[in-house]
Amino acid sequence: MVQGNADGSDYKERLIASVKKEVKQLMEEAVTKKYVHEESSSVTSLCGAVEACLSQGLRRRALGLFKTSSTTALLHKIAKSCPEAEHISKLVQEIEASDPSKRSSSSSDSFQRPPMLKKSSSNSMSTGTNAAASTSSASASISVSASTSSMSLASMKYLWIRLALYEKRLTKIIEYLVSNASSFYDRDSLVADPDYGSILSSLLVGPCALEFTRAKTADHYWTDPHADELVQRHRISSCRRSSSTCSRPAIINFKRSLNTSSDEAGTGSFKSIASASVAKDYVESLHQNAKATLLYGKNNVLVLPKDVAEPMPGYLSLHQHIQTLTIKWTPNQLMNGYTEAEEAEDIDKDAFWAYALNINVDEIVYVHCHQSRGEDSGGTVILVGQDGVQRPPIHFPEGGHMQQFLSCLETGLLPHGQLDPPLWSQRGIGKMFLWPRSMRRRILPSVMESVDETPIDYVFRIVSKSRHEEFAATHSILDFVRSTPRRAQLSSCSTTGSSDCSNKSLSIDQFPLESPLLLQQQQQQQQLLQAQSTSIEMVCSTMRRQIISRAFYGWLAYCRHLSTVRTHLSGLVHGRITPEMKADEEGLTKERWQLLNVNGVLDNATEFYRLVYFGGVQPELRQEVWPYLLGHYAFGSTTEDRKKQDETCKHYYETTMSEWLAVDAIVQQREKEKTARAVAKLSSGSNSGNERTVRAADLEAGGELENEVFEDISDISDPGDLEFDEQQQQQQQAECAVSGNHLTVKPIPRAMKTSTDSGHVDEGESFNELDEPDEEDNKPKQQQDEKNPESENQVPEYRKLEEQINQEPSCSASTASSYETVGPGDVHQRPTSDTRSVLSPEYLSADDLQLPDDEEAVRPPPPAAAAVIITKASVDITNWERSPKAAEGDQMSPLEEQAGESGGAGVNMDALQQPKSACASPASSNGGVYSSELLEQFGLNLHRIEKDVQRCDRNYWYFANENLDKLRNVISTYVWEHLDVGYMQGMCDLVAPLLVIFDDESLSYSCFCKLMERMIENFPSGGAMDMHFANMRSLIQILDSEMYDLMDSNGDYTHFYFCYRWFLLDFKRELVYDDVFATWEVIWAAKHIASGHFVLFLALALLETYRDIILSNSMDFTDVIKFFNEMAERHNAQSVLQLARSLVLQLQMIIENK
Amino acid sequence: MSGRKKSLLKVIILGDSSVGKTSLMNQYVNKRFSNQYKATIGADFCTKEVVVNDRVVTMQIWDTAGQERFQSLGVAFYRGADCCVLVYDVTAPNSFKNLDSWRDEFLIQASPRDPEHFPFVVLGNKVDLDNRQVSTRRAQQWCQSKNDIPYYETSAKEGINVEMAFQVIAKNALELEAEAEVINDFPDQITLGSQNNRPGNPDNCQC
Repeated sequence: MVQGNADGSDYKERLIASVKKEVKQLMEEAVTKKYVHEESSSVTSLCGAVEACLSQGLRRRALGLFKTSSTTALLHKIAKSCPEAEHISKLVQEIEASDPSKRSSSSSDSFQRPPMLKKSSSNSMSTGTNAAASTSSASASISVSASTSSMSLASMKYLWIRLALYEKRLTKIIEYLVSNASSFYDRDSLVADPDYGSILSSLLVGPCALEFTRAKTADHYWTDPHADELVQRHRISSCRRSSSTCSRPAIINFKRSLNTSSDEAGTGSFKSIASASVAKDYVESLHQNAKATLLYGKNNVLVLPKDVAEPMPGYLSLHQHIQTLTIKWTPNQLMNGYTEAEEAEDIDKDAFWAYALNINVDEIVYVHCHQSRGEDSGGTVILVGQDGVQRPPIHFPEGGHMQQFLSCLETGLLPHGQLDPPLWSQRGIGKMFLWPRSMRRRILPSVMESVDETPIDYVFRIVSKSRHEEFAATHSILDFVRSTPRRAQLSSCSTTGSSDCSNKSLSIDQFPLESPLLLQQQQQQQQLLQAQSTSIEMVCSTMRRQIISRAFYGWLAYCRHLSTVRTHLSGLVHGRITPEMKADEEGLTKERWQLLNVNGVLDNATEFYRLVYFGGVQPELRQEVWPYLLGHYAFGSTTEDRKKQDETCKHYYETTMSEWLAVDAIVQQREKEKTARAVAKLSSGSNSGNERTVRAADLEAGGELENEVFEDISDISDPGDLEFDEQQQQQQQAECAVSGNHLTVKPIPRAMKTSTDSGHVDEGESFNELDEPDEEDNKPKQQQDEKNPESENQVPEYRKLEEQINQEPSCSASTASSYETVGPGDVHQRPTSDTRSVLSPEYLSADDLQLPDDEEAVRPPPPAAAAVIITKASVDITNWERSPKAAEGDQMSPLEEQAGESGGAGVNMDALQQPKSACASPASSNGGVYSSELLEQFGLNLHRIEKDVQRCDRNYWYFANENLDKLRNVISTYVWEHLDVGYMQGMCDLVAPLLVIFDDESLSYSCFCKLMERMIENFPSGGAMDMHFANMRSLIQILDSEMYDLMDSNGDYTHFYFCYRWFLLDFKRELVYDDVFATWEVIWAAKHIASGHFVLFLALALLETYRDIILSNSMDFTDVIKFFNEMAERHNAQSVLQLARSLVLQLQMIIENK
Repeated sequence: MSGRKKSLLKVIILGDSSVGKTSLMNQYVNKRFSNQYKATIGADFCTKEVVVNDRVVTMQIWDTAGQERFQSLGVAFYRGADCCVLVYDVTAPNSFKNLDSWRDEFLIQASPRDPEHFPFVVLGNKVDLDNRQVSTRRAQQWCQSKNDIPYYETSAKEGINVEMAFQVIAKNALELEAEAEVINDFPDQITLGSQNNRPGNPDNCQC
């Protein structure tokens, strides 16, 4: 029994020791980190220790619970008689009710997903104090954004203890338990113990006095806020400025410096920067941020500003910057950001901004504290500055907040300053400055003494250590140099620099600008220096001179650099400034278009461009106007001219399209065959498990078309598998041949239909005409086919082999000759195709090797190609109506029948030929002669185009249907014509808007070609992108030095990669379709009116639109990329355009004034 | 003390166009599949917090453009990567074939400290489709030949294996980092010391 007792007290000792340890840990964290995060691990471990104490010796029977040692049940039990417990119990139940899966009755289980807890606790905390709305909303949004993460696994642990701690009611509850221990605890339990029980409750007094934060901490720095939240925060901060986003400080700086004298401009712009940044900082102060540490924050602190009758509640915060300590107070009205009726209150808000306090602690000498005698009745702090002026009194609500504020202030002053007399370090203070009894223990129980005297007013002096040191004078110079805001220097530099930087005399004028400051400083120093020795004086003056000269030369170099950059940038804009539009003008409206476009002839190009540049084009006119903008139609052309031009274009387009369609057919066929093989291989692999031999067969059959992956296995062993393949393919052939027979002619109407949408060619007639020569053409081929009925692979390149492999099996010879019939006389008509068909010896030899005798057997059936084309076509009903006729004709032709029997050779011919003849053009039948290199290259391109077209703007109404095929046609035609360039990702995005506007393939194609003349340089093959980046750099340097500093300080030149997509696609992905149209036409017009590099200014405008957000969050490369990717399609295009135009104008003015 | 460790893992997803890089990333980060993704231009990234070895780390997953033409952009994005995810489409043999060049290109451009042991993970995506053309065995063989790269077959559409694969990605990336930390430990301490000295500096240089 004695032993048991000893063990018991030993255990209790350990329990209480662990609580002590955790409390100490937590308090230390509170002091060193200046805040304690709710999810800090020390909170959890403290709760754990408390839980252990409370569950020791708990009389479960009394609670009606036998198995669990739930302290939560205990809480609910005592809720009836203890008001604090009742409150917490309610909260716990709320949380559990909102998420039934989280049963906190098993309180020691660990739970995930904290959002419920976080949300409700934040609500409950703010209900009591009626927190400033933005504080709670900001923290709520943070907790929401963070909730997806798993960072607070443990926060459901010890739920009720945790809540009680946050709510500062834990002590009371434990006190209650201790005083009623007999009904809940065994006699020898810790809580029932007369000593330990009270120790436990008193230990927890300290933690209960702490304010816990849910704010973002350094540890969670990477849980970046979403772009939305950044914009929202920015709105809150920028509600001060009623003007639009265009009023960038740096730009104002410029404008003013151009018109006013440099002195005024300098100071003026600096002020505007400063006030803007102050506004920003206020919102920043809600969060721990990179620039300043938040030492203290308290809402509903009353301050009585000047000219106001009643004290106003507001948010008081204490911030530590690198050099300084700042006290800020913001009226609640300003903390709400954009609330209801924001516009109406605009004026009021300005007034509130005047009330806001922003006090630099360096300027404060005395802190007066007033406290009334009542227990815990809050207090008033009055700050008195060096000049003896009192700042508005700050009334703290009750609850020891004044004391907390003072202690935070003292911590913040360290290590360079302190409160005199110190708050805590001396015991005697307790006598002079009285804290309410509860507070004494809460803050630092071990240090404070309990002395019961009536509280009185007290005065602290803020002492800066450096002031008392011997070499104060030197120090003050250092301080001066250090504390002179760099921005002030910069802005004064840039103003003079911008107004006239080549003027050297002005640069000397500039010099005295700084001297009044210096003089003032010197006067101050005079007094200090009197006691100093002369040697120090000399040292000081030398240093001063050095510093000033260094600053001057630095400034000079900076100006020179700027002038170089400016010269460089002058190439970006036109020298001549086009007068801006009058306010009543509305761009290119219908009426104006009719005025300009007299009798269908548009002559006044300048006026036309000017209207578009400043006002855009009315949507209905775009189809008519865009060809002019893109340079497709010439100015002064008559309606007839244009009609003719259109026809020529259409003809050309159709011709080209028929060419690549032929190749497409072959490519599709090859594709099919490859797929079939791969599938066969996989299935046979799974069937027989003899994968290797099949692969070997593939290797042989596929030749270089197959990939190298197969090369590792090279032994050919089992011919049986080859046969298997063969069988399969023959089967497929048969199937395809049947279907192919009926489908062969369909490509004709389809090609016509897609390409002649608006042309109204008599399709039926042309169809009949076309069919006949086709048949004639096929006759010689037919003869060949009869000779070689087994020949299926009429791949055109075989023709080239003819000369070399005449002695080869007859199939190649025959196929080759059959191809010659296609267009013997026309091969030389098109130089491009001619060069393509030039034989390359190496190539031939390679092909030669790839032609084993059994290859035909492995080749898949050609008709597939024709079928595939049809599925792709934008077939309409008329097409289908016609097709039976066509099929009929086919079947009547013995030649076609024969082709069907021979495995679709003729069908393949059709696929090659008919699109050409469909165009009824002499130039079209330039021969189906393609090198396999060409085939492969184009095939690869087609494949890519297909993939990207499928993915392009599927959600936009226009592309919801077969219009995607038009897109594919336009791009394929372009790529066919520019095979050296090939398809590059992004082309789809450039064609799509054109197609939406024109809804005509050939016109879109022609305009796209015009567009690509400029855009092609942006793609990886061109060098324009790097040039854009370099220009962006220079532009930012000139127009927004603050932004430039940020980018430069991050030291990552790749920064501008976030502009990559902007430039590549002319902002197509950044904006919604309607805005893309509006933006593009301005870009095109700008080339003739203001700048050939308007995209740069657009990019800059986008950047400037969000400059405050970027700057205030000091975003780095990745942040910026993420931000803009998230903001895609959510920009306000019109304001960005407007800003871009004004940026162009600014640069023009700068260059003109030079 | 855990605050001193780097808690950001940079993961790069590479592979041919339309193999499903964007879909994989979004499936993992947002648990969503959309068939509305467009071809990625430039690069984008998502972040996600994961718990690996009882440590919370933030994964920064970079999604890149698939066309090899745009590889030259890579340098900017590959730098400092902790893990590289190679994705191919099991229905497109060419995308599998190109894994080799993607891997090589990455190693050249990112130039990691230890190219031999740089963590890669190969994902064969779109296993939900019927017309599969690259067999598991072939993919595994390739992975084995490259220093035993972990291989998973995923479906961004159905969410098959995605979570697990990225968990492995995070784990492997963290292992690389753990090795790097051993090397970095010493300089870390130096900086800490110099920071402590700094407040004293003004006193010392008053000459």
